[in-house]
Amino acid sequence: MKPVFHMAVLAGLMSASSALAQSAWTGGDDLPTNPLPCDGSPAAPAALPYDGATPANAPDRAGQPITVVDVPKLVGIGYFNATSKGIAEAAAELGNMTVTTDGPTEANIDDQITILDNYITQGVDGILFAANDPVAIAPVLRKALEAGINVVGYDANAEPDARQWFVNQAEFNGVAKSLIDSLVAETGPEGKFAIVTSTFTTPNQARWIAEMSAYAAQCYPQLEWLETVEAQEDNILSFNQANTLLTKYGEDMNGIIGMTSVATPAAADAVTQSGNCGKVAVVGLATPNAMKPYLASGCVKSAVLWNPVDLGYAAAQVLRAAADGTLTPGDTSVQAGRLGELQVINGSEILLGSPFVFTQENAGEFDF
Amino acid sequence: MTAIPHRSSQGRIGRALVGHGQVLVVLGAIIALFIGVSFVNARFLSPANLTTIFSGNAYIAVAAIGMTMVIITGHIDVSVGALIGVLATVAGTLAVAGWPMWLVWLAPLVIGVAVNAAAGWLVAYAHIPSIVLTLGLLSILKGGLIVVTGGEWITDLPPGFFLAQRDVFGLPLPLVVMTVLTLAAAWWMAHFRFGRTIYAVGSNLEAARAIGISVERTTVGVFALHGLFAGISAVLFATQLTTIQSTVPPNLELVIITACVIGGVSILGGVGTVIGAALATIFFATITSAMIFTNVSAYWLRAVIGGLILITVLADVARRRGQA
Amino acid sequence: MSPTSGRLNLLLSHEAMLAILLAVTLLILSLLSDSFFSTANLLNQVRLTAEIGLITLAMTLVIITGGIDLSVGSIAGLSAIMLGLLWQKAGLPLPLAAVTSLGIAVLAGLGNGVIITRFRVPPLIATLATMAFYRGLAEGFSQSRSVRGYPEGFYILGQGEVLGLPTQVWILIVAAVLVGTALSATAFGRTVFAIGANETAARFSSLPVDRVKLIVYGLSGFMSGLSGLLLVSRVTTTRSDMGMGWELDAITAVVLGGASIFGGRGTVLGSVLALALIQCLKSGLSLAGVKADGTIVLIGLFLIGAVLLGNLMDRIAAR
Repeated sequence: MKPVFHMAVLAGLMSASSALAQSAWTGGDDLPTNPLPCDGSPAAPAALPYDGATPANAPDRAGQPITVVDVPKLVGIGYFNATSKGIAEAAAELGNMTVTTDGPTEANIDDQITILDNYITQGVDGILFAANDPVAIAPVLRKALEAGINVVGYDANAEPDARQWFVNQAEFNGVAKSLIDSLVAETGPEGKFAIVTSTFTTPNQARWIAEMSAYAAQCYPQLEWLETVEAQEDNILSFNQANTLLTKYGEDMNGIIGMTSVATPAAADAVTQSGNCGKVAVVGLATPNAMKPYLASGCVKSAVLWNPVDLGYAAAQVLRAAADGTLTPGDTSVQAGRLGELQVINGSEILLGSPFVFTQENAGEFDF
Repeated sequence: MTAIPHRSSQGRIGRALVGHGQVLVVLGAIIALFIGVSFVNARFLSPANLTTIFSGNAYIAVAAIGMTMVIITGHIDVSVGALIGVLATVAGTLAVAGWPMWLVWLAPLVIGVAVNAAAGWLVAYAHIPSIVLTLGLLSILKGGLIVVTGGEWITDLPPGFFLAQRDVFGLPLPLVVMTVLTLAAAWWMAHFRFGRTIYAVGSNLEAARAIGISVERTTVGVFALHGLFAGISAVLFATQLTTIQSTVPPNLELVIITACVIGGVSILGGVGTVIGAALATIFFATITSAMIFTNVSAYWLRAVIGGLILITVLADVARRRGQA
Repeated sequence: MSPTSGRLNLLLSHEAMLAILLAVTLLILSLLSDSFFSTANLLNQVRLTAEIGLITLAMTLVIITGGIDLSVGSIAGLSAIMLGLLWQKAGLPLPLAAVTSLGIAVLAGLGNGVIITRFRVPPLIATLATMAFYRGLAEGFSQSRSVRGYPEGFYILGQGEVLGLPTQVWILIVAAVLVGTALSATAFGRTVFAIGANETAARFSSLPVDRVKLIVYGLSGFMSGLSGLLLVSRVTTTRSDMGMGWELDAITAVVLGGASIFGGRGTVLGSVLALALIQCLKSGLSLAGVKADGTIVLIGLFLIGAVLLGNLMDRIAAR
């Protein structure tokens, strides 16, 4: 008995240490990574069998008017305002879909579950969600599927068997490549940089950081990661943390990556107000509206995002297609209104496209 | 509701300033951190870092002045973070609407006073315990802000708006505002009639009544003042960065209350100074910065901060025992 | 309070008022939405609120002693993380890991008690500090990573049914009866009230003040730990940020339930009724088409209004 226990402890420790080796950068998760080739050649999408779920005994909804609830991670932030705008746009265009957006006021998993549960009781036909936690949200989504509700995710995934389809804004490794490439474009392949993230427990951010680490190790081995700091979704804290990093490293740091649409503009503010424009590059995920002042001043050269309005629009189109039965397991693409045909990848994900790098020149074309 | 029972034994107003011990502990801790960390990295003491620590957190210290007064009178306010979020959004909205700048900066102060005077009135005259009232107010402000703004960020702020980015006598304005207000409030509370009334109400309600102090009016006055400081804090908060988030800053009320209690304000009322609260704010900011400078594993950061707070609290206990 | 006749007092007692409010709320909400007043929905609401419910029970006792415990959410997070780590990384069998993590939660609660009784640190300050500390331990031990993939059998706690009712319903009933009885019918309960009414007097009457306080904070730790386990079982994963904000939910229920935040007054029945009222409002308003942001505004207004109404009735009764 005893050796067995020791083995178990040893195995536990080994898995812990191998996890550390795998994602060397603080704030990454320990899931396997899949870095893209350095030269930008597209990765061959693996044709996987459908791994999503199917709602039980769903009524025939083809062409019927349906009521849908959209439950984002939280309400009251620009990003999810934009996705719900896209969803409303698609609903108006389709004409046979009524959508309500309702979510927690903080990115809180228990509140999100409670809200979903209440809508299942209320009896909706479809659920759109962006999960605060892929596993924690799964039981309540399975309950929805059992009740015959069509379930489609966007922005942040759930376990595949807890939803039908997931609209992927951009693959994790693609976002990671864009971020690191934009950084290297400014700092050179021997740049030294730090990361400002929300919290280490936020799944998407942790995934991006892990993929960035893997991609940098493969393509820019000289690139030096200094550290990752947490700043919640709090702009003044992000500003203070970025300032502290600037002072701590001085000349020894020439880049900051912001992992959230809150952290990136706050880091740009810190660099601007401390007079470090041109010395320290700021790249990161951000919305064009928040970045316009820094792009205009030239302090920030580029930021990375996808179009959240399109993301919401695509999610609503996919839900409609799933409800109509025009998108079924095994399909390799789906028709998504004005976005045209979108590809199915990884079994049950629909890819919106590549991450979009916006700059001084094109930021004015967007309003979100 | 029955009257608020007070277990604090300090009846005399003169004894009201016994919170100084904790102030010394916190001050000592700050100095120790500054010296210790500067050996690891001398840049810790650079003007840029001192600006981040002192000026970047000034809005917390300013809000803590009003909170200190509220706590001294035996009350609490858990809605202040939400109020600051709302007032910052108000300032930003008015600025974008093209109001004259002085009005933009004044409006949060006026609304802050109005909201909190109303809250104080409900506490004093309708006898709603302050924690219940402010828990309710927290929900109302937090939810209401999202209902009204939809969480749309305010991005197109006019260039003259950014008060907190200005310098006064070569020093960042938030730092100057924090220092002047803290010292003025401390002096006022120690030497002026209404200031001392606050301590009197907090240390012994019945005695205060007996010498003719209107406890109700004092409560309303203190909440109104607290609203004023929340308004000033909101202006500093709103004008620091190029965008305003239009949401309630996460856990801000908790940070403010923690600063007050660690700074030596007894939660039972009657004891404490605003200087302690300001120092405690600086103490937290120093720890947060020191963690980055000393490369403490980010995963253990909160445990270290919590541990340091715990040690500070226990150090004060040890100090008092040593005196006894 | 009011020195009027017993019958009027009973009618106007806080619990009676809450019960009436609850009945009226149920009635209105069932008119607003067809799906609200069904056994399935009501039982489901118990499932969703069980974690806060358990903490509310212990918080009632803490507040009656004149104390407060802000670290409950952090202890829940810590015990959830310890469960995951002990099971997955240290390889303990799951039941043993669960018991151990509950033990750690009790120790965390007792830690609060020791700081409060031995070092005479006010409860608000002590638990404000441990709130950060315990959450920090959860983050540090877990390296902010989640633990998933628990065996199916473990989910009976959070998702299963016993004798046709959600497991949480039974746990909550047993816990409420035990805590309620301990508070209202034992020497321990009388000491809890005595401490809150006048701690100095309680000491002079040689009541075991410190021991009772230790038990109360230990119980708060236990209930928080149990809530953590229930949540893990309900959502099938462990995260170090679990339980954030629970302290305010529990305190809201206790004060709406009629406990005095200054100690000496409060009942388990009142807290449970208040909790039911809040949860019904959340669920019912959502089913009636009010969004989450609007719902929290209404709950805030309701909380203030209910206490205002209570005060008004006290005054009428006092005439």
